[in-house]
Amino acid sequence: MTAFFIRRIFQMIIVVLVSAIASYALLNLAPGGPLAGLRQQQQNARFQINEDDIARIRAYFELDLYLPYRFTRWLIGVPRGPIVIGGQEYFSDLTIGCRKPIETETLNQKTGEYESRITGCKEYVQLKDLEGRRTSRGILLGDFGLSWRILRDRPVSDLLLSRLPKTLQLIGLSTLLSLLIGIPLGVYSAVKQYSRFDYIFTTLAFMGSAMPTFFFGIVMIILFSLVPKEAGLPYIPAGLSESVRDYTIPIIGAVEAGSFKDRFLHILLPAAVLTIVNISLYSRFVRASMLEVMRQDYVRTARAKGLTERIVILKHALRNALIPFITIVVFTLPGLFSGAIITESIFAWPGMGRLYLLALGDYDYPVAMSIFFILAVLTVIATLLRDFLYTLADPRIRLS
Amino acid sequence: MSVAQVANLSAEAISIEERSPFQIVMMRFRRHRLAMVSLILMIFIFTITVFAPVIAPFQVQELSVNKYFVAWGTVDEATGRVHHMGTDHIGRDYFSRLIYAGRISLTVALISVIISETIGIVIGAVSGFFGGWIDSVLMRFVEFMLTIPTLPLLLIISAMLLRDENLIPIPESILTFMGNLLLLTPRDARSAVLIILILAGFGWLNAAQLMRGMVLSLREQTFVEASRSLGASNFRIITRDMIPNAMAPIIVDASLGLAGYIVGEAALAFLGFGIQDPIPTWGNMLAASQQFMLDRPWLPLVPGLPIFICSLAFNYIGDGLRDALDPRLKL
Repeated sequence: MTAFFIRRIFQMIIVVLVSAIASYALLNLAPGGPLAGLRQQQQNARFQINEDDIARIRAYFELDLYLPYRFTRWLIGVPRGPIVIGGQEYFSDLTIGCRKPIETETLNQKTGEYESRITGCKEYVQLKDLEGRRTSRGILLGDFGLSWRILRDRPVSDLLLSRLPKTLQLIGLSTLLSLLIGIPLGVYSAVKQYSRFDYIFTTLAFMGSAMPTFFFGIVMIILFSLVPKEAGLPYIPAGLSESVRDYTIPIIGAVEAGSFKDRFLHILLPAAVLTIVNISLYSRFVRASMLEVMRQDYVRTARAKGLTERIVILKHALRNALIPFITIVVFTLPGLFSGAIITESIFAWPGMGRLYLLALGDYDYPVAMSIFFILAVLTVIATLLRDFLYTLADPRIRLS
Repeated sequence: MSVAQVANLSAEAISIEERSPFQIVMMRFRRHRLAMVSLILMIFIFTITVFAPVIAPFQVQELSVNKYFVAWGTVDEATGRVHHMGTDHIGRDYFSRLIYAGRISLTVALISVIISETIGIVIGAVSGFFGGWIDSVLMRFVEFMLTIPTLPLLLIISAMLLRDENLIPIPESILTFMGNLLLLTPRDARSAVLIILILAGFGWLNAAQLMRGMVLSLREQTFVEASRSLGASNFRIITRDMIPNAMAPIIVDASLGLAGYIVGEAALAFLGFGIQDPIPTWGNMLAASQQFMLDRPWLPLVPGLPIFICSLAFNYIGDGLRDALDPRLKL
């Protein structure tokens, strides 16, 4: 068992490294970036951007370094400068990048368009030039660098921390509610299999799990926000996590912007969407698992012993039916961090999922990369946690 | 004399109506009423989208200047054509766009399913049949990919691929073919091809796991042993014995996959990382309609309902197929 977990932790480290490399590579090969649009500005007569400006901007974003060096600086914060051993500097002349690349324009015969291609280098960057440059401590040590666009030059971690509470609120609340409602519903439906309740419930749950979240969210806004508001009925405000100015809702009365009442009203709809979707998933899962357990011999034995149905179901069946549920509960952990991208974007909820979308749309790679990286790490941790909890919950499972 | 008579009689008594496996499946499928309704509905929707150029009164990009958000059933005076569902914010006919969008959304989903199930079948069969290190490497990879949250990954990749025209070169012939299929120019078809690649690229994992499981259990069956003793090659065993016998869960997975791809494509387009606006899809029409929701609250239902209906229908068809093909099957 210990050996198993040591091996798993070792695997985990590899997976974390691989996902770091993958997310870095993906977002660095992606087009756009902070230099996009510079060339258009260059043609403006009033703001002439010369070669030195471009070199300075490239250095600021570390784009003048070769990819491997840029990556290690991003990952663990090295190299920071020449290696100093006993007062002696080594490798200070090592070329690690190109400050001013030579670009030649060639005519592509096929498309008839001019394409600029880097063909050489006028000025190289050497290891000694790195001294005095701003360095991050590396993403593995929790330094995610600076944001490029959304909050320019502010640490990504500030941005993440400002969004995290909102996501935790929304996802935490909806996960809790859906577990509290979904499990009893699934159990009841399984116990009363083939009853009218079971029939209606399974139909609804089936529709719920086939319902695309984005459509469901919009329908909820129409039904509970737009239409009642137009009709002069009490409505639920949709969009953002709190209102900007005070407003009045019929019957409910005046609501002060930013008050608890205001924030409660704003979380209602997104939380309801997530909760209903999750309930339909969770309860279907519990129902299937419960039906399987109810057929087991030990449940029959418990009944044959003369135990009451209540004890048989709650103590003998449910506890075993919930073991596969560990997976679902544990994998809410990455979701708690990353939020719900679609729901947050529909309700303009200022959480992590929306930030991720914003970062991808705005070419703010450090932000998007950080979120994706943390998400991958949390997923890996969740996998490990799941295996560990399984051995605790079910002694028959032996890991090797 | 009497012996012959007895033989005759028994043969007559035994002869029952012969049914092919397909007929048996169809008979059982028909019993699932909702699945049957869904199947008919989907065939209907497919037919409409196939005949889109005939049915749609307007061209996809055709603008009616100064006729924005006209009411349902408004007649275009100049040509006498009818805006069955009115027009959108820049005066394009909503009904025509909806049909063309359906053609694109459904075709993208269908081709994605075909590609991803094929990849899944091949990888699953190879993994299960040969076992050993191939199996463990492939299955570790599949398990790892399945734990990664899908949507963030799809978003990153489509953000990257759709923005750079030259990142992945796609043969002109494929673009022309897809363009003809979707009634788009080859240049516009590019984004559809990319979305198919992205969806199928992450969609084959489930099919591979299913296929591997089936192959593992089939490998021990006597008919495979018989094949082998008759001198059949590995390739022949896989293609003739394994794959046909493992099709049941794959077909069910494909049907559920169709629902997933329709929703997935729409989600990407809705979030702005899928097929972009001048080309209509249900997802980007929904995203566009969301901007005008304050004034026209019911507008998003028009492109939203088809997505929901298709998703639900393919889920029911999958459910019905599962019951029909193998009631014990769990997916």
